[in-house]
Amino acid sequence: MAKHPDLLSGLGRFSEPALYILISLADGPKHGYAMTQDIEAVSGQRLGPGTLYGAIARLEARKWIEALPAEERRRPYRLTSAGQRVLRHRLESLRAVARVGQARLAEA
Amino acid sequence: MTADRLLRLYPPAWRARYGDEFLATAGEAALSARNVFDIVMVAIDAWLSSDVRNATRAWRPAADSAGPAASGGGMPMLKTMLQCGRTSSGVTPRDGLIGAGVMLAINVLFAGVGIVLHRSGWTATGEALKGLAFPASFTLSMPWWLMKGTPKRAQAAILGFTMALLIAATFIATKI
Repeated sequence: MAKHPDLLSGLGRFSEPALYILISLADGPKHGYAMTQDIEAVSGQRLGPGTLYGAIARLEARKWIEALPAEERRRPYRLTSAGQRVLRHRLESLRAVARVGQARLAEA
Repeated sequence: MTADRLLRLYPPAWRARYGDEFLATAGEAALSARNVFDIVMVAIDAWLSSDVRNATRAWRPAADSAGPAASGGGMPMLKTMLQCGRTSSGVTPRDGLIGAGVMLAINVLFAGVGIVLHRSGWTATGEALKGLAFPASFTLSMPWWLMKGTPKRAQAAILGFTMALLIAATFIATKI
């Protein structure tokens, strides 16, 4: 597999929250509160509201997610096709790393 | 401390873009110390990050785009502090001026001591102090505006905790 730069790691301390947000939006649009609930259910991590919107702003700036019309005070977001590509690449990288780790554990 | 008070820490363009949904997500109840710290740290990031400015710029009404807030950084924040007197928070223009003065004085003090140390051969410590100048001045000015009306004990706990974290992070940064 050709090596691509890991675009998510360019987000610094927001890269992990951003990954969780992309994963959360992979099955459909969600607003901020629904994302925090989903992320907590999936990963056990509860994102603070500051970190959540810090990551959302960065993902939006890169056009990896986009805002939909607001529903009352809540605004849902959805994954863009560029965001899908970044997420797919990141998950493939993680899968490759996990495969190596598991193989080494099996050998030990 | 509730999210709507902490929201005032954020740049005007950020508040216009994310304010409503941020409050809907954070809720209106008192926040935990962890969430207060999270919101304060990301507020500093919102003033400094070009990424965040890019995300909020397109959202800003055209009439606002040529104003002083467009450049980001310290002056809009001082302006926000001085405007506190127009809100219902109980912060007067005098409080805003004192807060701005404290912020400026601590910035100058930390940066000055940092420069002296740097020139005296204490390079890492000097750099660390200069890096600490803005977050420390911001944090220590909060009792005059953002924390106005908060019980003194809570102010002392939040300031002590935040300053301890900032100093610990700066100390670690000088060791790596």
